Amino acid sequence: MSITSLRFVLFVAALVVVYFSVPKKFQWLTLLAASIYFYIRVCGIIELLFVLLTAVSIYGASVWLQRIHDTQKMVLKANKEALTAEEKARIKAKNKKRRRTILVFTLLLNFGIMCACKYSHFAVGTINLLFGTTMNNSFSLIVPLGLSFYTFQSTGYLINVYWNNCRAEKNFLKVLLFISFFPQITQGPISEFEPFAKELYSEHCLDYVNFAHGTQRMIWGFLKKMVLANTLAPMVKDVFANYSHYTGITVFIGAVLYSVQIYADFSGYMDIMCGFCEILGIKLTENFNRPYFSKSIAEYWRRWHISLGEWFKHYIYYPIAVSKWNRKLGKNLTERFGKSIGANLPATIALVAVWLATGLWHGASWAYVAWGGANGLFIIFSMWMEPVYDRYKRKLRINESRWVWRAFQTVRTFTLVTFIKVLPEVGTLSDGLGLWKRIFTNFTIPNSLTDLLPFADNVFNLLIITIITFALFTVSLIQRKHSFREELNRIPYVLRIIILSIITIIIAMFGIPATIDNGGFLYALF
Amino acid sequence: MNDVKSRLIEILEEINDDIDYETETNLIDGKMLDSFSIIRLISSICEEFEIDIGPKWMKNENFNSVEAMSNMINTILEEE
Repeated sequence: MSITSLRFVLFVAALVVVYFSVPKKFQWLTLLAASIYFYIRVCGIIELLFVLLTAVSIYGASVWLQRIHDTQKMVLKANKEALTAEEKARIKAKNKKRRRTILVFTLLLNFGIMCACKYSHFAVGTINLLFGTTMNNSFSLIVPLGLSFYTFQSTGYLINVYWNNCRAEKNFLKVLLFISFFPQITQGPISEFEPFAKELYSEHCLDYVNFAHGTQRMIWGFLKKMVLANTLAPMVKDVFANYSHYTGITVFIGAVLYSVQIYADFSGYMDIMCGFCEILGIKLTENFNRPYFSKSIAEYWRRWHISLGEWFKHYIYYPIAVSKWNRKLGKNLTERFGKSIGANLPATIALVAVWLATGLWHGASWAYVAWGGANGLFIIFSMWMEPVYDRYKRKLRINESRWVWRAFQTVRTFTLVTFIKVLPEVGTLSDGLGLWKRIFTNFTIPNSLTDLLPFADNVFNLLIITIITFALFTVSLIQRKHSFREELNRIPYVLRIIILSIITIIIAMFGIPATIDNGGFLYALF
Repeated sequence: MNDVKSRLIEILEEINDDIDYETETNLIDGKMLDSFSIIRLISSICEEFEIDIGPKWMKNENFNSVEAMSNMINTILEEE
């Protein structure tokens, strides 16, 4: 069942009816049944077994961790006077060791499954490359849809139980719903257990405002995905396949179009799912905050795929950056080389780990490792160079609050992000580098519009892409200072209905034909 | 103002002295301190108060204000 199909629309419409018809205490069970049905229809029973394995292991481990913690608390409280400080410390140390063993084992199991499914080919290929062996890496493996997303979400929950930041859920079916909730299992967002789980388990009433806003957002999402992203998909594919035959400027335009495509694709999906959840009264974690208006790569990553960035920050960046050995290293370096090195090096070590992991999370290839490395390199370089930039900005009397400077920063970041983005998408790493080379070495001026845009065979498609991209840009500009919804609500009701009807007609006219061959989502591949 | 808070403000002013730490309650959510500054802040707090701030404490609400940081430090000291 494709998310851009009529079948999906009917499925969610039926779910809304059932969700608000059943007794409220069964609403979350309706979501669980729908999620399981959805996953079986999209993937199959075997893939569902992988999800169940994750759910069972995470549930068992979290309940066990909670039990050890609660028992310890009870024992220490009951024997507050009887136990000596040494005895208390011994009990704590013993339980800490047990809890750590449970955590490590469960993490190894789940990340082990993820790595075996996603990285076996890459690992065998790398071994062959490094040692000249000829091991077969063309074997087929099951990669359950959304594997990276639900593994991250469920392990994040387990780690939080281990840290005592949230209590373990006692009801297995509720944990299963948290892990398998269909609007987020295939492409995220990667939600924290608290407060998201409460949203899922709470009882909700049908609310007109939620219904209207949710429907509007779903239509907006379908427009972005089906019309903009899916119309751009064959054009971008053509540029990536034939970059060596096209002029540098054409290839650059293709790269920019890819940035538009992936944003429309991924954020379109989020709008569809956030809109649907809003109809139910459930607030899904937001994953985008106008990322192409960022003024640095670091800021861009705080505004693009926000939930993934938060996961890496909480479970990789902070644990490494604040670890005892890293702090000790920072202290020693401060004493020897000064504050700047002592403060920046621990963060740098953590960032290198984060960006290598981010690269591999997105894809098992050297191109993705290079992509992660390029992002990390820019962020680390900016961090180290910040005092130098500040000095030059003062020297050149640059007023950072002026719109010209901010516009320059935005365009610069968008250009850098575009170049980094295309690196793993062309094919191999050498293809990606070849595309870069083409942009920087071929300065041929195209003779006509057909030469400039050889991938566009339909003027109407170009026109529709331009109009929707402009609309997307305008909405983002409005969102800088106001809520777009509030602006939309100011429009008379009839006019609003007319606008939504026009968008629906555009989806039917341009989106449905474009979706026939390009219906898949780019982020579903991760 | 108690001793923990005044020591905290001294540490914070070394990182960024443009903020009124006595009244500010939105240091992280308001993006006044980024993740790099937080790492520097934690190193300084651990050294100053001789405590270990593990990753479990790395939540926005623990660093949004001097009051929140002070409460966190007191809890860690009690636990240790």
